[in-house]
Parts: sequence; C-alpha cells; structure tokens
Amino acid sequence: MGPFDAFWLATTLQLASPLIFAASGEMMAERAGILNIGLEGMMLVGAFAAYWVTLVTGNPWLGVLAGLGGGLLLAALMAVLSVQLRSDQIVVGVGLNILALGVTNFAFRQFLGGNQALIHRFSPLSFPVLSNIPVVGDALFRQIPLVDLGFVAALLAWFVLYRTRLGLSLRAAGELPAAADTAGSSVSVLRWVGTLVAGALAGVGGSFLSISLGIFVQGMTGGRGFLAIAAVIFGRWRPLGTVLACLLFGGVDALQLSLQGRPAVPREVWLVALVPLVIVALRTSSWRAPSRQSRRMLVFALVALAGLAFFLFPPSVSLPSQLWTTAPYVLSLVVMAGAIGRHGMPSALSIPYRRDRVE
Amino acid sequence: MLIIALAGADSVEAINALIAGSFGGTIAIARTLTFLLPLTLVALGWIVAFSSRRINVGFEGQILMGGVAAAWAGIYLAPHIPFPLQLPFAVLIAVVAGGLYAAIAALLWAWRGVNEIISTLMLNFIATGIVAWLVAGPMQEPTHQFPNSPPVVPSALWPHLLPNSTLTWDVLLAPILVAFTWFVMNRTAAGFLLRLTGSNERAARFAGVSTRLVTVMSLAASGALAGLAGSSLILGAGTGKLAAQFSAGFGFDGIVVALVARNNPLAVLPAAVLFAALRSGSGLMEARAGVSSQLVFITQGLVILLVAGSAFLFEQMALD
Repeated sequence: MGPFDAFWLATTLQLASPLIFAASGEMMAERAGILNIGLEGMMLVGAFAAYWVTLVTGNPWLGVLAGLGGGLLLAALMAVLSVQLRSDQIVVGVGLNILALGVTNFAFRQFLGGNQALIHRFSPLSFPVLSNIPVVGDALFRQIPLVDLGFVAALLAWFVLYRTRLGLSLRAAGELPAAADTAGSSVSVLRWVGTLVAGALAGVGGSFLSISLGIFVQGMTGGRGFLAIAAVIFGRWRPLGTVLACLLFGGVDALQLSLQGRPAVPREVWLVALVPLVIVALRTSSWRAPSRQSRRMLVFALVALAGLAFFLFPPSVSLPSQLWTTAPYVLSLVVMAGAIGRHGMPSALSIPYRRDRVE
Repeated sequence: MLIIALAGADSVEAINALIAGSFGGTIAIARTLTFLLPLTLVALGWIVAFSSRRINVGFEGQILMGGVAAAWAGIYLAPHIPFPLQLPFAVLIAVVAGGLYAAIAALLWAWRGVNEIISTLMLNFIATGIVAWLVAGPMQEPTHQFPNSPPVVPSALWPHLLPNSTLTWDVLLAPILVAFTWFVMNRTAAGFLLRLTGSNERAARFAGVSTRLVTVMSLAASGALAGLAGSSLILGAGTGKLAAQFSAGFGFDGIVVALVARNNPLAVLPAAVLFAALRSGSGLMEARAGVSSQLVFITQGLVILLVAGSAFLFEQMALD
C-alpha cells in the first residue's frame, strides 16, 4: 500500500474535521474584528464538557451539545472582556487558554477522579449509493456524522458571511467598524455574535476530539486550536481557503502518522512535497523580476529537476516518531511563511472599537 | 477561596497548607526561591518583547532549547574545558540557543509577516518534539533504560546556596537581571529605541530607526532570557539531567507574573515571589486539603483576565 491510500484519506478527514469546525468559527470572529487566541481553550472546554455529559447520559449528541455550550460559555467571557471592556484581545486569549486548562484538569481529577472510562461513540453514517464507490467510498462517505457536519458548518459560515445582511455587517465590523456603526449596526453586537459563533464551533470541534476517541485526556487539544488559527491565516480569512488549509493540516498529520511506522520516506511523498515548493517558488519569483517569464521558467525548471531527482533516487530519510509528530506544526510555520503578507486580513482585527475615538 | 470551597474542601486548611508549603521552614522557602528565577526571567522576557509590541508566547520552547544547549555543553563539552569556565560556558550557550530559537519567529515576522503569536506557539510544540527525541535517542543515558540524558558533569553545575536544600547560587541572577533589564530599558540608547518603537512605530520609522531590527532584537533578547531560565532548570536546582517536559509550564507562568507586574521590570520580583509560593505550596495543599494543584492554573488564568479587564477601569479613571 502506498502512503496515500484510502485509509490515509479517511484519517485526513477525521483529523481535519475538528480543525474545520474551530477554524470556521474563528474565521467568523476574525472577520468581525476579534482575534480569538482563546480558541484552544474553547476547544478544550468543549472536549471536556462533551466527555462528561456523554459519560453521564450515554448519548453522544447531548455530549456535542454540551461541548457547544462549554465553548459558548468561554466565548461569552471573551466577549465581555474584549468587546465590553475593550481589553487586549491577545492577553485575554492567553488567559482563557490557561484558565481552560486549569478548569478542565481540575474538574477531571476532582469530579471524575481522572478515570479513563470509555464513553459511547458515534457509529459511522453511510450515505446510500455514494459509500459504495470503490476505494474512496468508505473513506469519504462512511464517516461519523460529525465529519459531515463540519463541512455543513463551513458551508453555513460561507453562506452567512457572503449571502446575508448579517454577514455583510459582520465583515464591516472587522474592516471598518465606524462604517458599520454609521450604517446603524451595533459593532458590539456583531462582535459578540462573531465571538460566540467561534466559541460554539470550537466547542463542537473539541467535542469531536473526545467523542471520537471515547476518552478525555488532560490538555488533549494539543495545539489544534492554534493550528486552526494558522489555517484561518493561511486560508486568507476566506471560508474555502480555511477549509482547504484545515484539510492540508489534517492530511499532513495523517501522513506523518503513517510515516512513523515506515523505514524510509516513500518516493510518492517526495513528489507531493514538491507541489507547495513549486507554488512558493513561482510566487516569489514573480515579483521584482526584470523579465518575469524567463525567471519563472528557470525557477520552475530547477524545482522540477530537483523533484525528478528525488523521485528517481529517493533519499533514504527516516525520522524518529517524536520528530514526525511535529510535522503539522512545522508545516504551519512553512505555510504561514509562504502566505505572503497580510493580504486579506480584516483591517480592524484585534483593534477595540470606541465610538468616541473614531479616526 | 471560592473555588476551593466549590471543590468541597476546607478552605482555611487549604490556605494554611498553601502557606506552610511555600514559606513554612527553610526547606519550603528554599523550594519557593528555586522557582523564583525561571519565573522572573520569563517575565522579563515578556516585558522586553512587549516593549516593542510583540507577543512572545514561545518561552516554553525557548526554555527547552536553552536547557538542551546547557545540557549538551555540560555533558559533552565540559570535560574538555577547564573547570572555572565550564558553568559560564554552558550558561552562555543556553542564552544563545534561546535567543536563536526566538529569532526564528522574529525573522519570520520581519521577512514574511508571520504572526509571532502563532509561530512562537508552534515552535513550542516543535521544541517539545525535539527534546522528546533527544532524550530517547542521541542524548539518552548510556543504558538506554530511562528517557533522560546522562547527568551533567558535577563541576559544571551551580553550587548549592544552602546545605540540604535544592537552592543554588543562580537565584541571585534574578535581582541582578531585574536591575539590568530596568537599566537597559530606561537608561540606555538601545532601551530608548526599543520603547520608541513600541510606543509609536511610525514615528520611530520616520525618525530613522530601523524598527524591524529593533523588534527582531527585542524578540531575540526575550528568547535569550528564557534560554537562561532553561539553563538554570538543568544546571541549577534540578536533577542535572535533560528530560522531556522539564520546562514544567514556567514559560506560561512567567507571562502571568509579567502581567501582574504590569510590565514593569522592577515589580517583577515581588510578583514572581507570589507565584513561586503558589507553585511551591500547591503540592502540600493537594496532599493535606485534597485540593487539586490544578487550582494554580485556574488562579493564574483568572489573574490574567482580571488584569486585562481592569485595564479598562484604569483607563476610565484616567479619563475622569
């Protein structure tokens, strides 16, 4: 089996799904002008609340609902501090993350005795017909319902942002809050909405983690909240871009999991790793070049040559599992470095709005 | 207090245990003081980075890399250099390593506009992976039984300050570096450029200051301080061995200290004492009153939120 088999595809979707929930929410918040660094904490609280409620009731759907509620609660705190009190959003976010870690660890040990009881999980939902497609059918159309819901959430986020009045006002609150205010929409309410959506979706994303595993582990989000924020940046604050970025992170995470057990990196991986390289090479060479066309061709030829060399003579690289685990984080640094500039960033991101201080 | 009561424990007993665990007797005080240096250094690091309006949340990673460098120097290099130079050399390497690790995020910010909050956090996870690999691979102790490195050469360790306690001489670095940071930031040209860049980036740029360079340097200096903290965790009070997760959350606790000190270097020391005591006493509190030591996290999170929220009230008072 090659590294990019149906199992990899299925794992990619499962690993990307929590990110898709959280990142779609974060994108809404950021488009409304709130940089919500507390996303990680909201996911963690969601994961814990979902675990607890599912453990008690035995119904994972109630667990997801509890995760949503937990995320909302933390988001409300974020909104009070950053919208009402106009505190430094980044500092508040850092505080929320530490608070969430403490609260979940504390409650887990104090009330659940740190036990590892397995909770009731979802059974896969198969789409008729579609799931019978050979090879990819099972991977794409026979997943637990939360995976499908993730894409629904992302679609809804797109619809609300770009096809409704509310979305227009939300985007205005993040780009030029004074304009939104002048047009009669309350910037505070809009930012509250954005933050709450981020919290609710992050909570659901967190509940995905605990419910799909069936257990809760202290600090189990392990930086996924931050990966989701990186996905929003890499996706240039757009719904489709954000989902694609999440899928990329999920794909690399799934790939590193399967590469951990291999003696050397297979040649297909080298070939695929070249694609982003080509893109970055083309992008960086396109500006400030005297004769664009020839420069581009040269860079492209060089990269292609390197790729051919790697494909024909795959270097026998094998990394220990501890280093493979860091792959998604390294990737997020690389893609953020590749996403040139801050093009697409909401202009008023992380700037508190004061009616009496409009410039 | 309220949270302790919620947990169903006797709050008076819990508080008593907290105080006894942090200040009751020489050993407890010595343990509290051992936590002082890393907290102080990280807090100073936050202040230095924040002076140029950059947020460094990568102290955990910078501590880890500093510790790795110190351990490497103390284990493999120290036998080849004369005794009096071993410790200073290991510390220096750690400072450089911490600074360089922060410089990755700084340069990504300067060249590619990468948000430094995300990049420093990602670098934390990468550093955790690197240390986990080192202590299970290249730097593992010779018997390959335990996930830690061989011990550092004893002559490269900080000597003990008090007999029968974990406290070592490096704790004196805390007040020294507080004074040094204050001096550099308020009484030197470099500090002036730093504060100018932080308070009005545009004005600084028009005045001919290379604000990018200043910012990169401030982030690197911030990482260097964390690297120093890492070296102390290895060469000071600890076991003298490199082990996974030895940073033990100091990288985040130090941020809380800086926020409580309201980004004033001189206020860092008392704030650090407070949080060192919290950390030191929470173990005994858990043992005696049955209150989970996780309470410390909750307290810290609440403190950050309160400090952030109260900025609004200060602003209102200033307006009135």
